[in-house]
Amino acid sequence: MKLFETKHYFNYPWDQVTAANWQKYPNELSTHVVSVDILAREIDVENKTLRTERLIGCKQAIPNWLSFIVGGQKLSYVREVSEVDLVNNTLVMKSHNLTMNHILLVNETVIYRPDPELKTRTLFQQSAEITAYATISRICDKLEEWSVERFGQNAKTGKLAFEGVLDTLSRKWEESGVFVSDVLKDINNEVSEKTNDVVNEVSKLGIFKFNKNVTQSPVQQTEVN
Amino acid sequence: MGNIMSVSFAPECTDAKLQYDDCFNKWYTEKFLKGKSLENECTEFWDTYITCVNSALAKQTVKPMLDKAREDQPFTSEEIRESAGTSKK
Repeated sequence: MKLFETKHYFNYPWDQVTAANWQKYPNELSTHVVSVDILAREIDVENKTLRTERLIGCKQAIPNWLSFIVGGQKLSYVREVSEVDLVNNTLVMKSHNLTMNHILLVNETVIYRPDPELKTRTLFQQSAEITAYATISRICDKLEEWSVERFGQNAKTGKLAFEGVLDTLSRKWEESGVFVSDVLKDINNEVSEKTNDVVNEVSKLGIFKFNKNVTQSPVQQTEVN
Repeated sequence: MGNIMSVSFAPECTDAKLQYDDCFNKWYTEKFLKGKSLENECTEFWDTYITCVNSALAKQTVKPMLDKAREDQPFTSEEIRESAGTSKK
């Protein structure tokens, strides 16, 4: 089994990221995704959680040396279960491949949550366990290696693609004003928190006392000390 | 709403899917995320769409794979919460 892990920050608030997540496909970069279906959707009222099961259809080019094992199957399916948790502000997505999973099983977990330091951006954590089941161990190794490499490439494209989707949607949302009030509130909170911090720091340093350093910015002062 | 949305794996279900998606996305952004509604308000569109999907699934080879995957790895709420570190004590 091989493990793949990555993290990334999207410069959009968490709620927008989760909304864009439903509208991620199709996009110009993720041309391998050909269909998306919702198989089940339920709301856990007590935990303010929306659970969704989706079926994602992909066409994926596979290397020639692999096609003899899988028989040149062109279309593959992925099952994804996700939960949007409004209490903890998390979006977790777990997925696995349905096609060819007796040969190679990819188990992916993606978590989106607000960056605790800066609520206007979202932390994205992705991990995948990749297991090859073929009986000849050398093929397994090669298969796992190739898959990890491939997964890494796809993960990069995926992030780039999602940035594009977020950009388009946030512009649309800006026009409609659907997110405006909350975002502004967040920014204001963020700004006033940060301002308070700076003010506190500055008063601790006591640089507002009459001295020659008064022209120096408080930020520089903290860094020097 | 002019947004391009993804198609269904079964072409005959795409129209129903787009109508449902449209309703869902509106509900999700305008109500659910804002804590205004914890009730699925798109049931009419959903019923049409899921009936179409289920009958298409029954004819496809993906159905047995799907059933087996659900059994092997249900991805329960507990598992999901564990991944996120939000399990209840």
